[in-house]
Amino acid sequence: MIPSLETIAALVKIGLLVGGLMTAAAYLVLVERWMAAWVQDRKGPNRVGIPLTKIRLFGLGQPLADGLKIILKEDYTPSHVDRVLYNAAPLVILAASLAIFAAIPFGSVLPPLGIDGLPDPIPFLVAPGFSVGILWVFALSSIAVYGVLLGGWASNNKYGFLGGLRSSAQLVAYEIPLGLGLLGVVLAAGSLELDVVMTQQANTGIWYAFAQPLGFIVFLVAAFAEAARLPFDLPEAEQELVGGYHTEYSGIKLLLFLVAEFLHMVTAAFLIVILFLGGWHLWGVTGSGDEIGWGTALIRFGVFSGKVLAVILFFMLVRWSWPRFRFDQLMNLAWKVMLPLGIANLVIVAIVEEFRPQMTEAMGASAAGWVALLLPWAVFLLGWITAGVLTPSGTDNRPIRADILEDDGLFAAEHALLTGNGQVTTENELSNTANADSSSGSDA
Amino acid sequence: MNPILPVILFVVIAAAVSVGLVVAAQLIGPRRSTPVKAMPYESGMDPVHDTRRRFDVRFHLVAITFLVFDVELLFLYPWAVASRSPAGIDAAVAEGSVGGRGIVFAGAMLFLALVVAGFAYDWKKGVFRWR
Repeated sequence: MIPSLETIAALVKIGLLVGGLMTAAAYLVLVERWMAAWVQDRKGPNRVGIPLTKIRLFGLGQPLADGLKIILKEDYTPSHVDRVLYNAAPLVILAASLAIFAAIPFGSVLPPLGIDGLPDPIPFLVAPGFSVGILWVFALSSIAVYGVLLGGWASNNKYGFLGGLRSSAQLVAYEIPLGLGLLGVVLAAGSLELDVVMTQQANTGIWYAFAQPLGFIVFLVAAFAEAARLPFDLPEAEQELVGGYHTEYSGIKLLLFLVAEFLHMVTAAFLIVILFLGGWHLWGVTGSGDEIGWGTALIRFGVFSGKVLAVILFFMLVRWSWPRFRFDQLMNLAWKVMLPLGIANLVIVAIVEEFRPQMTEAMGASAAGWVALLLPWAVFLLGWITAGVLTPSGTDNRPIRADILEDDGLFAAEHALLTGNGQVTTENELSNTANADSSSGSDA
Repeated sequence: MNPILPVILFVVIAAAVSVGLVVAAQLIGPRRSTPVKAMPYESGMDPVHDTRRRFDVRFHLVAITFLVFDVELLFLYPWAVASRSPAGIDAAVAEGSVGGRGIVFAGAMLFLALVVAGFAYDWKKGVFRWR
């Protein structure tokens, strides 16, 4: 059977994506190390160039050397692990984080080629017309949780187990704000296809980051947590858990985990750009229609890649400028801050989208447009201020151990002293004050 | 062409790439086993009893809460997609199978209000208190 031209086109796109992503992951590690060196005012990897010569090429050979080395290393399976799950975990996580890209567009469209049997224009998307694209992305990013949990469980190692637990708790907790941020965009775009979402933003010229600022912030924070990047890298906090869920892995399986983790960050950057930053659209440069020439096609691809790269660099810059959260802070942020903010965003977007026709009828298109733009910003500021007032940065944010507060008078007294409020009513403290009173009384 | 076909192709290729990498490394890499290598890594200490013991129930609580809210969110997706798409609510209203846009919107908001009520109850009960 000869595969149809369309199947061949799909295979070419898949090949480009898989190869490009693996190479990009390798070279982004180098970029990240350069970034770290720049932030810390040192030189970073700059030696590996062409072997057997003195040509260094700014260290561009480093990823190749690293990859070669790790493939030549022993892929060891310790005796105490659950073999099937241990071997399955890295495969699951890498396959899932690659297959996500079936639904993620990586540009706009090619100009019409006029080849029989191929759709015109050819979209930069493996599966055009895949009507549940966003759900596919969401589902496969959930499968990554399985990889992490399986790896941590099968390792039969205490660091690995704790890392797996923490990781799965974090990933599931932040999946809800992620979904809420997505819902706002789906509601406004009326489609689950990511290329349609980009086209909508190009048509109106208003990126969803401007139309839904609160949703953007919620999605951004949740995406950082889902990619397990600092300040949310508790699953593998090196100082506490050695390597977290991949402590027991070595050789190529460790590489698969690390590549998958990097791909999660790349996916997050793609999603942020596509959903909220307009995709390939840039005002006055790219146009918005589907019928374009080679020049515009190139510019669109450049704009898209530039935006993705900028977001990835932002991820890296954040990594080197922010301290890690503590686990209770992480959970508080997910459930008590991000979830309410996400719901607030969803409600305001729903109201704006529902009543836009009525508003347009009542006060004209431009005034309605301004109201639809300013209302979410008002809610954004309100949410920001509320969150700021309820959790001022100067408060004592140590974990409140209610069990200890009741049992341990000393801790309670200290806590009350440090927070500067609350009545100190423990027996210990009362007797102290009574003693102080009586002694001062006797002195007088 | 069926839009699902490239997706299936992609999954197959992604799985093949992962498996291929592991198999290649198994063939290329050395194999030398020592008793110490086979031990769990616990910072150089001799491991103390098994890992699979009881762990904190809070993780279970997080998982349950996640399930509840995630499923509730999934219920909202059809409404969000249908809200403005051409074949969505407007078409259903025009055809007469739905009373009007207002009742759909009110239903969605009522559902969200129920979610928020459940959320407030959970918060009050201390489900989200990680101590």
